[in-house]
Amino acid sequence: MISRRNKDNKIVSLHGLTGFVVLCLYFAIASCTQERQPCLTPKTASLNLVCVHYPADSTPSATSMKDTALPKALFGALTANGAQYVYYKNISSNFTLSLSPDADSCSWVVSPDSLAHPLDTLNFYYQRKLQFLSNACGYTYFYSLSAVHTTHNNIDSVLITNPSVTNDANTKQLKIFIHPN
Amino acid sequence: MLPAAAYAQVAADSVAVKDTAAIKDSSVKKELAGRQLVIGADIILPVRSYFETQRKGYEFHADYYLHGEIYLAAEAGWGSSEVDYTDLKYKTSNEFVRLGFNKVLLPRENPTDWGGIMLGMRLGAASIHRNPVVYTVIDSLWGNSGGALGARQFAGYWFEINAGVRVELAKGLLAGWMVRGKFLLNNKDFKDLAPLYVAGYGRGDKNSVFDINFYLSYAIRWKR
Repeated sequence: MISRRNKDNKIVSLHGLTGFVVLCLYFAIASCTQERQPCLTPKTASLNLVCVHYPADSTPSATSMKDTALPKALFGALTANGAQYVYYKNISSNFTLSLSPDADSCSWVVSPDSLAHPLDTLNFYYQRKLQFLSNACGYTYFYSLSAVHTTHNNIDSVLITNPSVTNDANTKQLKIFIHPN
Repeated sequence: MLPAAAYAQVAADSVAVKDTAAIKDSSVKKELAGRQLVIGADIILPVRSYFETQRKGYEFHADYYLHGEIYLAAEAGWGSSEVDYTDLKYKTSNEFVRLGFNKVLLPRENPTDWGGIMLGMRLGAASIHRNPVVYTVIDSLWGNSGGALGARQFAGYWFEINAGVRVELAKGLLAGWMVRGKFLLNNKDFKDLAPLYVAGYGRGDKNSVFDINFYLSYAIRWKR
């Protein structure tokens, strides 16, 4: 019952009044927290690549292409502060790189096996787009790949399969064709 | 003796007379309900605004009883937000208005009962001003990069479904709360930077928001 009238015909609404006051106090106290919400989305755009090869005894085609698992891959970002290396201890054919938000190009060196030399150099050329994620995460850059150039020590060629580099970790942007031998 | 057709006419007239009486009874009941204009304010928002540094908001409301337990409703107010994070800094301010109606669900026991459970709908609009934004993109590998974006003026529109309760604490003095489900209509305009808080709506980076208001109001009543 929200309200009722007593014998003097005055309105009595004790249940409603009590509930109202309790709710007011609860929301007044609960609403005074000011902490920043946690960022639940990736803040850095990831360039996801897969290494593939054509078997030496087959004609290159979409069906003859196979994933190439690199035994101990080494990737190094050539930053203004020198090369920053990432070692992959486990065998894998899928890797993730990031692009420099400071310029419209950047370079990575790559080796399919940390013991193998010389390294190959991948040069990435792209356009940057400032992207607002949320108040919790702030801004980041998304990229549109325009070209990728490579040396050919271990790499045969590269193919841009999707030029859009965002914070979606499930989309592959690049195929690296490794020499079959 | 009257012919059968005449009896039928009399019966039809009788039904018509009953219907007219019912309509008259109904209209008399509405007249007894009188007219009411309610003016009030959200009493929680000033408390929150006093204690919070990031967001401030103030809101007033009014509704007018039409008939059939339907009220025209309007709310208006203003507010601001300030974000001062290490990688993001900006301020916004806005004014807003919401227009719509409320429907009291339960029939009143007598014409002087003005409380009840209400359902309602609103259309809301806000005029938002955003000051220049300073941002930093954090990148532990390549190094941080930053910049600034210019000020911007834009509008926000949303639709609301509301439910609430209002009780009469003393003669003419009303208290109540209203839960609001809000759905942003022009979220594309919020993509380059959604304000942390839009007074009248809530978090600007959410396409749907649930909110609650606590009102203290005064009713002005007069006869029809």
